[in-house]
Amino acid sequence: MPRDNFDWALFLTASALAVVGVINLYSATSVSRAALSEIYIQQVYWLVLGGILAAVVTVIDYRHYERLGYVLYGVGIVLLVLVFILGKDIRGSSRWISIGSFSFQPSEFMKLFMIIALAKYLHDDPKTEERSLKDLLIPAALTAVPMVLILKQPDLGTALILSLMFATICLLTKIRWQSLVTLLVSGGIALPLIWTYVLRDYQKQRILVFLNPEANILGSGWHAHHARVAIGAGGWTGQGFMRGTQNQFLFLPDQHSDFPFAVFAEDWGFLGCAVLVGLYAFLVLWAVRIAATAKDRFGAVLAVGVGSLIFWHAFFNLGMVTGILPVVGVTLPLFSAGGSSVLTVMMGIGLLMNVSMRRYYVSPARTTGLLTNI
Amino acid sequence: MSAFLVPRSDVSEFRKRYRWMALVAFLAFGVVGVRLFQLQVVKGAEYAQTAHENVIRRVTIPTTRGIVRDAHGRVLASSRPSFNVLIVPGRVMPSARPPKANRAGVVINSDTRELDSWNRIADTLRLNPDERTRLTARIKDACATDEDRSPCWRPILVREDLSRDIVAELKQHTSEIPGCEVISQPIRYYPYKHLASHSIGYTAEIDAETLAHFRPQGWETMSAEERQKTNPLGYDPGDVIGATGVERAWESYLRGQRGWEKRVVDARGRYRTGPEADRLLDAPSRQEPLSGRDLRLTVDIDLVQSIERAMRPHAAGSAVVVDVRTGRLLAMYSKPDFDPNDLSGGAGRDRIRESFNKLYTDSLRPMLDKTTSGAFQPGSTFKPFSALAALEDKIIDPSEHERCDGYLSFGRRIFHCTHVHGKVDMRDAIAESCNIYFFKLAESVGMDRIARVATEFGLGQKTGIGVNPESPGRIPTRSWYALRYKGQFRIGFTLNTSIGQGATTVTPLQLALAYAAIANGGTVYSPQLVRAVETTDGSVVQDFPPRVRQKAKVAPENLARVNDALFAVVNDLKGTAFPVREAGLEVAGKTGTAQTGYVNTGGDDPKKAWYLARDHAWFAAYSPAKAPEIAVVVLVEHGGSGPTVAAPIAMQIVKEYNRLAAARQKRPAAAAGKDAKEAKDAKDAPAPKAAGPGAGHALGPDGLPAVDDPLAMPPQGRPEDPPPPSGAP
Repeated sequence: MPRDNFDWALFLTASALAVVGVINLYSATSVSRAALSEIYIQQVYWLVLGGILAAVVTVIDYRHYERLGYVLYGVGIVLLVLVFILGKDIRGSSRWISIGSFSFQPSEFMKLFMIIALAKYLHDDPKTEERSLKDLLIPAALTAVPMVLILKQPDLGTALILSLMFATICLLTKIRWQSLVTLLVSGGIALPLIWTYVLRDYQKQRILVFLNPEANILGSGWHAHHARVAIGAGGWTGQGFMRGTQNQFLFLPDQHSDFPFAVFAEDWGFLGCAVLVGLYAFLVLWAVRIAATAKDRFGAVLAVGVGSLIFWHAFFNLGMVTGILPVVGVTLPLFSAGGSSVLTVMMGIGLLMNVSMRRYYVSPARTTGLLTNI
Repeated sequence: MSAFLVPRSDVSEFRKRYRWMALVAFLAFGVVGVRLFQLQVVKGAEYAQTAHENVIRRVTIPTTRGIVRDAHGRVLASSRPSFNVLIVPGRVMPSARPPKANRAGVVINSDTRELDSWNRIADTLRLNPDERTRLTARIKDACATDEDRSPCWRPILVREDLSRDIVAELKQHTSEIPGCEVISQPIRYYPYKHLASHSIGYTAEIDAETLAHFRPQGWETMSAEERQKTNPLGYDPGDVIGATGVERAWESYLRGQRGWEKRVVDARGRYRTGPEADRLLDAPSRQEPLSGRDLRLTVDIDLVQSIERAMRPHAAGSAVVVDVRTGRLLAMYSKPDFDPNDLSGGAGRDRIRESFNKLYTDSLRPMLDKTTSGAFQPGSTFKPFSALAALEDKIIDPSEHERCDGYLSFGRRIFHCTHVHGKVDMRDAIAESCNIYFFKLAESVGMDRIARVATEFGLGQKTGIGVNPESPGRIPTRSWYALRYKGQFRIGFTLNTSIGQGATTVTPLQLALAYAAIANGGTVYSPQLVRAVETTDGSVVQDFPPRVRQKAKVAPENLARVNDALFAVVNDLKGTAFPVREAGLEVAGKTGTAQTGYVNTGGDDPKKAWYLARDHAWFAAYSPAKAPEIAVVVLVEHGGSGPTVAAPIAMQIVKEYNRLAAARQKRPAAAAGKDAKEAKDAKDAPAPKAAGPGAGHALGPDGLPAVDDPLAMPPQGRPEDPPPPSGAP
């Protein structure tokens, strides 16, 4: 393994985010009931486990994943189906599978499996001329199957992220502009249909709140309003670690899951936020750079896929918390508490590291696709 | 076919896209950054303010309403704690709450293992099965959701004014019954119950109309200064306000000013303490409450008690005792009365409603203070004023005799007298209450002269007591009759006026003050019910000296003549009140038996008609006759004859007054001796110390004598006393 090619920039950025994330979770949950205040410890455990998994993912040459692409995808689909059979109902949706005291969210891992499957498909289907809609039919199907399953749970946020990741990967290919226009138009037609048939009432409510934020502060607008107040109260330099009043006095709901950024913003102010947003931006841009330097199509799509996963999660979460996007339950990578999410992101970073470290390696399988060297 | 020619890992297809992707990602994070700048830097101060307001709550600090005491320091109205029980539904019955889990799948309320305490609380409160099922249903209802702002966390009032036993039981088991809170709320308490209830009045929850006056439309958006201006006493919904009597008229003194304190609260409304919370409190963080001022009335509750006792055989009536030298009201009594405790919230809302229903359907009108708002024909008690009118203008020679045959005819009408009095002069006419004499007198004196004198003695006008609504009564003049009867003036009107009948009406208070003026040489005082305003520690803030309302312009010799005649009423063998005179009492006065002019038009049942057709019995007097101290007016409504019904009551009152005065004289004498001894001690002792003689009199903290004797109070409050709340009644 080419140890010299270790990607320190990626490692340090991800580590910084993870460390800051845990510190922030400590602040976010320090005042809550006993059951919540243990969350930052759990987060450390998940991060350690995630780090180990990432190392494992990094060590195995990513081209093995190419070979196993559809198998992994199949496993993911099976798990999603199992959710309906074994799933645990929490807050009106079943997203979890429990094995003993351990429970996980298959939809999180599905994101990685889908990236691998799409990368494999595009790797196996090289094109020189522009792609038409027909060429994207199978990737679209690969996305649609898990999406439908996830929407059934229902988990609008994850489904949305899946579709945006798919769109990002599509845009990576040389798609015909006519096809693009067709996609956009059909999407425009689909929106009202989605509003009527797919969205649940609470989801519609969130979008309405987003469109008219101050209408119902005590009711459905509570989350968004208090998140904005907390962020704004941070000012230039913040109120100091664990001193943000809105968090300390429980005005921020879901402060450990969907709104940890509001806690961070209140504690550290604009300067802290700028650094944090800079770290996420750097991570995403670095992923694009890794893709650009990847030596094969599989690696490139993999890197773009993981990059888009981080990008859309970060952008949607930050947008939601700052009130430029409606409230959609999307986690902030490495900041939100939650095992499945942490493991997924950590393994994704492992994939990035994997692609990055093998960018100079010229494989004999370059033209044949056969793996001879590990 | 070309696909086969392209190597699988030709990455050139993607090459041109990376730059765009990087750009889009960069811009997206840029937008987030701009938004953060807008929220945190541009609008940062605004949001910081909102955040601050979220965690700071102004908690009002209650004030205590002032105490009302009688002239000798006995408490007539004060506040006592009423213990109410509140429960938080979600905490007394956690089992009714939906199981809740967070995103990580941890079920939150299972680990705390809260148990239902509701049954235990209900047992302790001894709720009846009805209440129990009703409240249980309400709790379950509230617990349908347990979000942060759900009714599940909002306290419910379960019981009001608990007995101390139950309170003690609840307090003892506090730790075992979470979610149950006993709060103490001040309730107005009137130890003497219905005695002097009209003068003291009662308190009630502020009504919507009054509240709307203090908190008009747009209250929510008013600035602090505007609020202070429209609602200087800070009334909030549910506040207690004086409804009648002194409680109402002196509300601005009694009420006090609530204080406030800033507290740090979390989103669930729980108070937070500790350095982290204190750091957030900005100055000023607290305003101390100003407790209400205490009032010292002029009333002697013992005297009121004796009136009440004397009036027991009668259904309705009133009495006034006034100090002729000052105009201070020693007793005001109106029957029927009410118990203000029933109306001031002690026993709960149901009790209040029930009491009001009873009081307002009573045809004897217990809520009305008849001493001030009841206008009655004075009957013969008016005769002294007619006599004075004749004497002042020297129209009649008082020693000249008139002949009374028991009747007098004027034109077609015949006016009757009570008896055939034979030959009477003015003294006899007053003593024996001869109408014929006064008819003849009136004929030559005329209505307007009588009206002038009566008005000079304050009859027919509001006295300005300032407590409770006041009726002006009426002293008719020729022009009044001219207006009323469209120019057809008849001499009969004048004759009726001279003996206090017809359109002439006065209130018992007016009559008492007028007799006080006859007794004191013609000075009409403003009636005074509140002697002084005091602070909680007993020092006097404001002392009210007697105020002269007007001086009746009558010659002293004429007044002396009338006084002599009034003395004869009680002390002459022929005097109307002679049969009820009491040995050892020096009383001068005038009886009155006023016809009510009631005619049963068929609407009233015979029993009621019989009652209403009876005359009002009056006795107006002063005592001691030679050196008057008090004037007494007794009115027994539909009591019958003045001399036999009203006069004995007045005698009782005078007797009781003398007894009380004598008893009090003994006590201050003993106390004075003690004072002198202490004064001697004080010479040796480094710190001067004074002691009050009367029980219940608080000492000033600085050793100043607190209010011992109401007549010897210091003229002013101590200099450090804050000014009393503005808005004197």
